[in-house]
Amino acid sequence: MTAPGQEESVSSDFVRSYVITGGRSLPSSDDLALHTLVTLAPERTPPLGAGPEVTAIWDLCAGGYLSVAEVAGHLGLPVGVARLLLTDLSEQGHLLHRAEPPRAQNVDRETLKKVLHGLQSLIS
Amino acid sequence: MTSLIRDPLLWILLVVLVAAVFAVMRARRTNLALRRTRKDLEANLGQTQGQLAQQQAHITALNARHQGDLADVRADAESSTKAVLKSAMGTLQSLAEEQQLLLDELLKKYGNDTEVLADLMSVDHTGSQFSRRAKGISVLCGGWLGRRDGAATVYDVARSAQGRIKDFNRVGIHAQVSVFVSTKAVEPVAVVLAELLDNATTYSAPGTPVEVNIQAVPTGVCFIVDDAGLGMDQETKDRAAALLSPEGAVDITSLGDPPRFGFAVCGMLAARYGFAVSVGSVSPYGGVRAVIRVPESLLTAEAPAPAEPVRETSGEEAAPQRLAPVPVGPSHVVGRTNGGLPKRRRRQGAISVVPSPDAPATAEEPTPEQASEVTASRLGAFARGTQLGRITNTMEGPDQR
Repeated sequence: MTAPGQEESVSSDFVRSYVITGGRSLPSSDDLALHTLVTLAPERTPPLGAGPEVTAIWDLCAGGYLSVAEVAGHLGLPVGVARLLLTDLSEQGHLLHRAEPPRAQNVDRETLKKVLHGLQSLIS
Repeated sequence: MTSLIRDPLLWILLVVLVAAVFAVMRARRTNLALRRTRKDLEANLGQTQGQLAQQQAHITALNARHQGDLADVRADAESSTKAVLKSAMGTLQSLAEEQQLLLDELLKKYGNDTEVLADLMSVDHTGSQFSRRAKGISVLCGGWLGRRDGAATVYDVARSAQGRIKDFNRVGIHAQVSVFVSTKAVEPVAVVLAELLDNATTYSAPGTPVEVNIQAVPTGVCFIVDDAGLGMDQETKDRAAALLSPEGAVDITSLGDPPRFGFAVCGMLAARYGFAVSVGSVSPYGGVRAVIRVPESLLTAEAPAPAEPVRETSGEEAAPQRLAPVPVGPSHVVGRTNGGLPKRRRRQGAISVVPSPDAPATAEEPTPEQASEVTASRLGAFARGTQLGRITNTMEGPDQR
């Protein structure tokens, strides 16, 4: 017999993801790709009765662009579930999104050195 | 005189007299014999009656012993059945928990694949229902539920319960309060609420709503479950009331076939953890209203800080990963929201979404030898930044909603 103090710990996610989606079908990944950037539209108030996840997205996206993958990561939710919540907010006009920026190109080291030397000679 | 002797009548009289005397003597002897026999018989009867009484007492004693033994055997059988079931359910509970942990991982791993994610969610849903059944039987057999690591909001407890039943999408949750259920009561309250929701959805027409209202009352918080079913008859009400306030261990063999564990589980858990469950009243929709009242002692206003996860790597090994700052780090957390999530300060300006992997560590003071290198790398970053800005400007489309 296990005493109450020795009770085994249960650590699986307390609220299952299908409850968060409410059993709705998930949006396809074309709408909001993994690297799509989202941010809060200006001068918006959170929808009434927003769940903890929506409130968390609100807090996360308030300060600037974040990628869909990052939002999911911070919420600790599967990307598809975060995408559904983001799609909802987006459809209600609360979110702006844009494609990911292209990666920065590596600049020729020599050019940088010349610029650096030029700047240094200007400063000193 | 002679004439008298010669009289035959006299002789006849004499003969009769002798015969009479003889008969009387004989009758007397017989009578005596009969009396003796009767006395013997009476003595025998007394003896037999005594023996009979003795036998009857013996039988009564045996009967009592038999009943006692039978009760003992029943109790033994019940407790050994419970022990076996408890251990078997414990194994199932562990397996179900293992499966849910695995699914947590899989859901995140395949999170970007919509179809796989949807399939995994349906597997997860079945697993959760399976886990609830195993937990219910385990509780009735004296087993335990497993302890959650932290307190949870009443809203999350209700949502967790919602996820453990079949028709979870018929359930609507309205929380008027935002308090936390303390660590030890999180799982039991969720299991009891799940049983009540299961009853509510099972005994009401498909498609009708089942509402959970969470309200503060002077002595704690009430979870009110309303369904739009046909209600319960008096017999069911009595049975429910008896099971919801049990006076001892519940006999699991008395729960019918198929067994109806729901109310028995609720009663056991409520008694064990000190909250109250009632199902007597009528819901606004005409169905059953079930209420769980969680007392103040099982609630907390604020979630206690979760325990630091054990780091597998040493501090030195983990340090390099911290050099590239994550946009939202622990330093930005300024408090906790009502929902228990970290509250973060609004950041000024845009976040760098492509952190430079070779950005210098800001925490380190550069030595004079490193100074020029640091300047160079800063200028390099500046150059990359301007270039990135130019490319983004020319290539990005207008902001979309």
